[in-house]
Amino acid sequence: MKLTRRNFLAWAGLGAVGAVACEGFGIRRGELDIQSPVRLPEDLVRGSDNWYASLCRTCPSCEGIVVRVMEGRAKKIQGNPLYPTNQGKTHARCEAGLQALYHPDRIATPMRRSGPRGSDEFVPIKWQPDGIDSLRNALRANGSSSVMITEPLRGHLGLLVERFASAIGGEHLGFEAIDNNTLRAAVKNVFQQDTLPDFDFDNSRFILSFGADFLSTWVSPTRYNRGYGEFRQGEGRDRGMFYQIDSRFSMTAANADKWLPVRPGWEGHLALSLAQVIVSENLQARGVDVDTLVGGDSGIQALNNFRPETVAPLAGLTPEMTGGDPVEFLKNLARSFASNRPSIAIGGGSAGAQSNGLFNLEAIYALNFLVGSVGGKGGVRFNPGSPWDDVPASSKVGSLEDWTRVAEQIRSGKTKLLLLHGADPVHGLPDSVRLRDAIAQANDLFVVSFSPFIDDTSVMADLILPDRVSLEDWGDDIAEPGPGYQVVGMQQPVVNPLGDLDPLSFPDVLLTMAQELGKESQLPWANFKAMLREGSDALFAMNRGSIEASSADEFWNNLLRRGGWWDERRTGPAGVNAPDGLFRTIAGKATGPDFAGIGMGSDSFYLAPFAHNTLLDGYNGHLPWLQAAPDPLSTVTWQTWVELNDVTAKRMGVKEGDILRIESSKDSIRAVAYPTPAAPLDVISVPFGQGRKHGSDYATDRPGRESSNVMDILETTLVKGTGSLAWAGTRVRVSKTGESVSISKLEGNARAVEIGLTPAEKIIKTIAPENA
Amino acid sequence: MPSRKMLPLMIAGGVVTVIMGFVVVVLLISWFSNPPFGLGNAPAQPIAFPHTVHVAENNIQCEFCHRNVTKGAAATVPAVETCLFCHKDIDGGTVTAQAEIDKVRTAFETDTPINWERVHRLPDHVRFIHEAHIRYFTDETIPVKYGINGEEITQSLDVAQTCTICHGDVGNKTVVQPKIGQSLKMGTCVDCHRQNSVSTDCTICHK
Repeated sequence: MKLTRRNFLAWAGLGAVGAVACEGFGIRRGELDIQSPVRLPEDLVRGSDNWYASLCRTCPSCEGIVVRVMEGRAKKIQGNPLYPTNQGKTHARCEAGLQALYHPDRIATPMRRSGPRGSDEFVPIKWQPDGIDSLRNALRANGSSSVMITEPLRGHLGLLVERFASAIGGEHLGFEAIDNNTLRAAVKNVFQQDTLPDFDFDNSRFILSFGADFLSTWVSPTRYNRGYGEFRQGEGRDRGMFYQIDSRFSMTAANADKWLPVRPGWEGHLALSLAQVIVSENLQARGVDVDTLVGGDSGIQALNNFRPETVAPLAGLTPEMTGGDPVEFLKNLARSFASNRPSIAIGGGSAGAQSNGLFNLEAIYALNFLVGSVGGKGGVRFNPGSPWDDVPASSKVGSLEDWTRVAEQIRSGKTKLLLLHGADPVHGLPDSVRLRDAIAQANDLFVVSFSPFIDDTSVMADLILPDRVSLEDWGDDIAEPGPGYQVVGMQQPVVNPLGDLDPLSFPDVLLTMAQELGKESQLPWANFKAMLREGSDALFAMNRGSIEASSADEFWNNLLRRGGWWDERRTGPAGVNAPDGLFRTIAGKATGPDFAGIGMGSDSFYLAPFAHNTLLDGYNGHLPWLQAAPDPLSTVTWQTWVELNDVTAKRMGVKEGDILRIESSKDSIRAVAYPTPAAPLDVISVPFGQGRKHGSDYATDRPGRESSNVMDILETTLVKGTGSLAWAGTRVRVSKTGESVSISKLEGNARAVEIGLTPAEKIIKTIAPENA
Repeated sequence: MPSRKMLPLMIAGGVVTVIMGFVVVVLLISWFSNPPFGLGNAPAQPIAFPHTVHVAENNIQCEFCHRNVTKGAAATVPAVETCLFCHKDIDGGTVTAQAEIDKVRTAFETDTPINWERVHRLPDHVRFIHEAHIRYFTDETIPVKYGINGEEITQSLDVAQTCTICHGDVGNKTVVQPKIGQSLKMGTCVDCHRQNSVSTDCTICHK
């Protein structure tokens, strides 16, 4: 090609266009930048994670956890391998603690009510001056007629709240929908102990459990699961034997060698029946003074009223259940329990939630004296108290009698200020207490909630001052039940709140108020961290336990690093003496259970409510992971289901997914039918935990998702001797609504068939008979 | 003058020539440069940071600022706060130096991160872990090791000496630039791994 002036210009133009185009393929400005952040806290090294020890607060057992934090954000929660109670394991509930941290429904700022009470209409306000001033004015005006309702509190927060309530002249009550007051009373009456004991499943050879769903929800399930693993499969030992006596087929019952579906409320009679066999056949452990324990001849005579021949029909035992004569079954059970030592008897859950619950539990725990399992290896182990003189090791929880009184005080205008933290009593109390109505109609009442979430009680608040969630805040705990020795757990803030949230720590707010109200003498600390640090210094001064340090600062750092302090040498009492005539005393209290309400007609059922595996009593209802975690047996998620016997269901024409109406004398609820062969003919079971009316979408009802609160229909029967709610003491009628939904469960959606029965296999067998 | 019929062919030929030329230039740059697009030059930085003053004169260790280099994958650049550990009190010896230190203080006071221009960069599909390499070259139990260009190393190295194997003598540079003439291509990595009897599995380096 000839290079002419025109060609030259054409090529030059093309070249220029190409150069511009090529520049577009280059690296954009800033692409290769590497940025120096302005500040670099120790835990903000990019690409490098840090694990902080802390405590889980998604259930009352308060397990030790470690939290993975990357670049200032918590990513994962696991068990703290050093922490004595859970030893590196956790319940699924703990892992969902992250969802409380990042929850989209967290209350971002303080809020004041702007509509009618309970209307869920609030306007955001600032902490200073609006929020803090309103709280101070309310405390000044009505502190002496206040009631503070919190979650069950142990450790320094328990001390702080008690002192604060006392300083302002008010009352403090811990709230737990399914409380352990009856269990505590039984432990006190039988063993004379103020704290809950530990159970040495690891070394036991026979576990006899009455109503305690200890592998799923009861008291400290992670610790019990560890012990249970050793009990069944520990090295160098035989596989232990385990009987579960319970009116519901729980996850624990599903693991038992034998599940005995006792008639609700007759567990204590069964326990005394076993005692009668042991005593009459002289099977007690060597060294047990039966005469003193039973109470002489009069005790023997009292026990003789509980012969298996008498008790088996009362407890509803049939030959189908026991695989033969129920009387012989009970006798053999007593013989096995007495001969396979060390053996242990535990009771709780529905066994203690009857009008005669205290009698039931006392009779069950007294069995341990007969087999020599009190304080010994493989038996009941006692816990020591708090390492500090004034810090409570055990949580104080109100009974139903207390809550009925509080509701009445609100109605009468005697209580003018209600302070709420970590408790949702409107959801967690039977509807018949009418707490919601009392709060809604009290004109002189001022309600302050410190909850970071809206729930059925905080929605009634006049002022909401959102607390930090546990991963953002300080705290501590005295493990209850401990592992038999003193354990203190430490909770430290592993992250700061997200930028769009403005919570303040609840204990810090209380301490600020104490100073502003001139109560420094009782609460002299500048903030909660300073209070905890003083506790740490006191532990350091004791010069014992798991942390060796040369200075108080070093001790504090190690305390935080390890997630706690424990002293294996500071154990509870090695053994306790039984009160003289213990069995005679217990037998004297024996009564059958009361079922008030609709009566014992043949058209009604026993209602056996149970704690939900992950939501518990509803405490975790707002956490979607826990809503979506399948129930271990039915695999149902998100919904309220009712377990009923499949034969009963067939008789009623009920099939899975039908919505049933469950009605007591108090009210009725709806629940999705789940027929199962693993349910007694006359018992239906419904989980607690669902049916919130306000708050997070994850917790409240929505179209197509049946969500009901079984508390709404419970009779307000009290446990004699403790005043707690006998939540398993209700009879109900069940009817069809005519509606049906798809039950949201994992099990059964993929059809399981026996090999050899599918159509394809039949064809193969037909054409190739040798494969048959 | 080309005929009218030839004009589309000429235009197409021109476009193809330009594209091919671009491809050739990119390949040449990639082959002869240090990691792509760098050409071994020293990029302009927002603040003049003389390693000579900090390392050679004042003996500050590499890992004092690049704090993650012995702990994880990335060496990391220091936070502005780290500079203020010293420059809260230490002023520059010259007016120019003082002006640069003032930039650092201003960044800290105004809460503004500093965007440094990256000097060394490996492609996104490569995983390079500083910590593992420093651990190897400072391991006194391995008697003989080989450097990035096959040179035999018999004495035990400290962290700073290890850094120089790939990065050159940064401590004596006023302006940081890649080690002159040093290839950081895949072949270099593979050769070094082979000589040191380290695995050459694909997944060792490739994500």
